[in-house]
Amino acid sequence: MTYVVTDNCRGCRYTECVTVCPVECFHVDEKMTYIDPENCIDCGGCVPVCPVAAIEPDYRLAADKKFWIDVNRKRAAETPVLTGRLPPLPGADARRQELGR
Amino acid sequence: MARTTVVGACPHDCPDTCSILTTVEDGKAIAVRGNPDHPFTRGRLCVKVNNYEERVYSDKRVLYPLKRVGPKGSRQFQRISWDEAIETIATRWKSIITEHGAQAILPYSYLGTQGIINGLNVGDPLFNKLGATVSERTFCDSGSCTAYMMTIGPTPGVDPESFVHSKYILLWACNTLGTNSHHWPFIEQARKAGAKLVVIDPVRTRTARLADWHIPIRPGTDAALALAMIHVIIKENLVDRDYIDKHTVGYDELAERASIYTPEFAAQETGIPADDIVKLAREYATTPPAVVRIGVAVERHAGGGQTVRAIACLPGLIGAWKHVGGGLLQLPIWAFPVKWEVLMRPDLQPEKMRVLNSWRLGQALTGELGFDPPIKSLFVYNANPMAMVTEQAKLEQGLEREDLFTVVSEHFLTDTARYADIVLPATTQLEQKDIMFSWGHLYLSYNNPAIEPLGEAVPNTELFRRLAKAMGIEDPSFFRTDDEMIEASLDWSNPVLQGIALEDVKAKGYARLTMPSADDWAPHRDGNFPTPTGKCEFKSTITGGGNFVVPLFRQGYNGDQDGTPVDALPHYIPPNENLQSTPALAKRYPLSLITPKSHAFLNSNYGNLPAQTAQAGGEEQAVFLHPDDAEPRGIVAGTPIRVFNDRGAFEAFASISPDVMPGVVMAPSGYWHRSNRKGATVHALTPPAFADLGRAPTFSDVLVQVGRI
Repeated sequence: MTYVVTDNCRGCRYTECVTVCPVECFHVDEKMTYIDPENCIDCGGCVPVCPVAAIEPDYRLAADKKFWIDVNRKRAAETPVLTGRLPPLPGADARRQELGR
Repeated sequence: MARTTVVGACPHDCPDTCSILTTVEDGKAIAVRGNPDHPFTRGRLCVKVNNYEERVYSDKRVLYPLKRVGPKGSRQFQRISWDEAIETIATRWKSIITEHGAQAILPYSYLGTQGIINGLNVGDPLFNKLGATVSERTFCDSGSCTAYMMTIGPTPGVDPESFVHSKYILLWACNTLGTNSHHWPFIEQARKAGAKLVVIDPVRTRTARLADWHIPIRPGTDAALALAMIHVIIKENLVDRDYIDKHTVGYDELAERASIYTPEFAAQETGIPADDIVKLAREYATTPPAVVRIGVAVERHAGGGQTVRAIACLPGLIGAWKHVGGGLLQLPIWAFPVKWEVLMRPDLQPEKMRVLNSWRLGQALTGELGFDPPIKSLFVYNANPMAMVTEQAKLEQGLEREDLFTVVSEHFLTDTARYADIVLPATTQLEQKDIMFSWGHLYLSYNNPAIEPLGEAVPNTELFRRLAKAMGIEDPSFFRTDDEMIEASLDWSNPVLQGIALEDVKAKGYARLTMPSADDWAPHRDGNFPTPTGKCEFKSTITGGGNFVVPLFRQGYNGDQDGTPVDALPHYIPPNENLQSTPALAKRYPLSLITPKSHAFLNSNYGNLPAQTAQAGGEEQAVFLHPDDAEPRGIVAGTPIRVFNDRGAFEAFASISPDVMPGVVMAPSGYWHRSNRKGATVHALTPPAFADLGRAPTFSDVLVQVGRI
């Protein structure tokens, strides 16, 4: 089992998650973050700190979001580890409002 | 909408005691999150409490006093008023005291909530005053504590934050990422600076997977490894002679004792190759600063106490204590100046008390112990023995006794509460006030209540005020407010609280004890061990009275101690049940069962809640077998299996994993009876035997068989 970053991160990328992850399992590209499922220790510590509720445990994902499990696995393998917080993407706050967060 | 943030602290029996921020909107808690300002817990919670508000507002909460209206255990209850509940209890107790004496009343509790005023000792003054049977609570680290007292005394040991300076880190029977996860970043920082991480565990846990070296060990044989390390260190002259001469006693006797524990002997017992044992000893002794972190599991077998004795000798032998980040970490709780006497009130005890150990509950309730007077009333709070205590069948039989008057204070109708005559609603941490020690870091925490109590729930402090009043107690100390109790519970004049004002702790939520910085503190660089000799006692000077349980775990009572003679030098006691020590038994039950903490539960807390049971893989009890053990039994992943021995059985669906050592079955504890088709938990199989010291349980010292259903 693992935790999974989903669509709410796209266009926001607040990266609060990386400040609490004890095992550096977050990876990043220009759009969003991804969790390396091999490294995730299932503490779920990132879930409550994400300002846009983008992170969920895999077993809690709705059917139409299950594909994010594979996306996270694939993209985590292809992208660098995120070691510190980045500035949110431009327009993040607007998107956050749009998401009702 | 009025939105506020309230700072509090996690109530659970976990070393980390996280600082928690609760968001409250119009009187309702809408979210919890970690407090990013806390230097140790750093803004993260864990899978147990990430959604704590769901526990608080669960529709399964008990919110009003209940009385039983059906047969015992049938879960048929009816709401009553607090007045009726308290009146019923007081009337029953008074008549039991008149007819049988106060010893017929037994309190039963542990750390369901760990706060200083609502936790371990909150009921002690009342039961001490009544003269009820003393509850000897040896759930956790009691054997380890006795061993610790006998070796290096009640020292906080290495500051967990000093691990960043360590170069060799030995996590011994400790799954840090599962049960102490806020310590991990400090370990990780040390590794980035070049430290080697070694994990000793029968299971390739999440922590072991990330280690530089995982050493699988047969359950219950850890002392053989520690003694062989001592053997190698002495034989190869890797000792720190100067430190030994100045700050230890009994070196020559230890050297003689250790001479018999060769790596070859230890290899036979532990299953670890002798070469690896030698390598471990050499690396440990020659890579300063070297630190050992022991987990609670290390005590849970026949020789658990002497295991901790042997391990606690290691740092003294190599002078590890001289370095910042070198030494041993067990429980930093010893740093907190808690006024235990004020909390427990042993001064109220009659001269002679009767003591019942927590692992003898089933035997006591069924009359097997021959208690006179028998137990006629059981008062349970902060505990769920039906899920977590050994000899489950016996316990159930006892709880079904019609003449036993059982009261349970709880959040939920637990496996224990269902047998109650009266159930009382307890507050969660968001609804109560407390001040907290930690047994995993050096920060004092304050838990501000975030919301009003739900329904008619009350904190344990209020529960015991009501009971004391109903029992006719007039001593005003029983009726202090929570604020007065908090003020009185700590020695504010102690140097470690200098410069710390209660009001500041309350406002900020935490304060680091006033101790030297983790970056330059080596607590026993110059000896100063809190032992009778002031030295690290390889040969203990306090074994004269035999085995004992630290009075903190027995309501402050020090009479009627175990007293079994104790060897003053560390030695190896083989497991009560394993292939080598009991080959005949092993023919019938060839697998060793271990029952570690579940990743998503805190003991039996959360074993009934949807998010955590889903995280644990579903509502069914998890059981893991090595492929080599599964295959010959025709078991594949998902096969319904029965795990059994002479004491009992439970059923589950198998999981197959090479992470478990061959010959070992791992069934995490904390699941409730409902998670098991046989209506049992793992403790249906665990033995009632005590470990050698401190009456610790022997839960990792069990043989079982596993078969398809």
